[in-house]
Amino acid sequence: MNVTEYIASGILESYVMGAVSDQERREVDCLSSIYPEIKQELEQLSASLENYALLHSIEPPPQLKASLLQKLTFEEQEDRPEPIVRPMPVEPTSRPTFQVTWIAAAAVGLLLLTFSFFLVSRLNNEQQTVSSLQSTNSSLQTELRQLRDRQQRDEQVLALLRQPGTRTLELRGNEKAPNGDILLYWNPQNQQVAVEVRSLPSLQPDQQYQLWSLVNGKPIDAGVFDGGNAAPYLQRLNRPIGQADAFAITVEKRGGSPTPTLSTLLAMTPVGS
Amino acid sequence: MVSESVLIEKLNQRDQRAFHWLYDQYSPALYGVVLRIVRDEEQAQDLLQDIFIKIWKNLDAYDAQKGRLFTWMLNVARNTAIDALRSRKTQPASAIRTDEENVHIVDRQHNTEQPNPEHIGVKEVVSQLRPERRELIDLVYFNGYTHEEAAEALNMPLGTVKTRIRAALQELKQLFKS
Repeated sequence: MNVTEYIASGILESYVMGAVSDQERREVDCLSSIYPEIKQELEQLSASLENYALLHSIEPPPQLKASLLQKLTFEEQEDRPEPIVRPMPVEPTSRPTFQVTWIAAAAVGLLLLTFSFFLVSRLNNEQQTVSSLQSTNSSLQTELRQLRDRQQRDEQVLALLRQPGTRTLELRGNEKAPNGDILLYWNPQNQQVAVEVRSLPSLQPDQQYQLWSLVNGKPIDAGVFDGGNAAPYLQRLNRPIGQADAFAITVEKRGGSPTPTLSTLLAMTPVGS
Repeated sequence: MVSESVLIEKLNQRDQRAFHWLYDQYSPALYGVVLRIVRDEEQAQDLLQDIFIKIWKNLDAYDAQKGRLFTWMLNVARNTAIDALRSRKTQPASAIRTDEENVHIVDRQHNTEQPNPEHIGVKEVVSQLRPERRELIDLVYFNGYTHEEAAEALNMPLGTVKTRIRAALQELKQLFKS
């Protein structure tokens, strides 16, 4: 179609003046959305009429605004439960656009809602991941600490065992400590003794276990050590023992006794050859 | 100057300040147009309120794609005022109401009323418009005459009316451009 001819036909002027039929109005609306030249001409003509109307401006009485605002608030409250969807009497063709706008707004709203749900669920996921990572991390740290402790312990035991001449003896509990089980590392050459408590009953705070070495039937103090869970895994005793026919364990007062209390004897083993 | 899209957004949110701004900005122009159409201050004031209520309620119907907000408001004001004028004029003669009758009544009304006091700005611009073109703009724009009605009122062929409307608006466009 010939746009220039259409613009020159005068229909746009009649359109902005409101002097066209409904059918002509729809035609102009449609064509102006297709041809930028028509839209531009329409805008210029509308602007001219706006300016022309502005020239005729007359200030309305000031009290009119207050009375209008009252009506507006009043009607707004009244209408709020049921939004008005009344077609504009001036522009019947604007009704579909009105619906389209609503649909578009609803679509945008829905999109935003969906997107925010998506974000929230993402956030939740992230938070779950973070907390599971944190718990994994702390359990790994615990495990690492345990491994390190065990390694340190094993190194100590290995260091003892590596020394030439170290002997390993096992002392099992008698009827006073049926589950008692102690490993004894003894090196007659450097006269060192260490005990590894595998299982011994817990003692009163003022009591300790005491190790005795028996030489020719005489008990010789070989040092004290602790039992129970709080005790270190490997305890070195600070009495030099170069000779022993047997080893025995009694329960004594904290710090040890000069002679063993035989009634508390709970384990004994001969050294053998 | 508030950007129009921001203003419309605020209005759609029923923002009171936006309405105040809208009223302060446009009520003189709309009142001027309405008063020029109905030529009765009391009725023009009632109509101006109706118009702003209409604008307020039907903002959703305004489509920015089709034109500017002020143009739309002007159309609401103009149509409301012209409708009111027509129904006021036709009520006594409703028994024998025809379009021809209607035109004559409106025409008579238009001719007998005193013209509005005009601003200096109006005089300046309008004095540059040719009188017959200005008359046509006023008849069609301010009195809502159709082409046919204008042709009859001015006693000229329909084709001439169309040509003159175009010429008048093109002249107006040039006047405001400079």
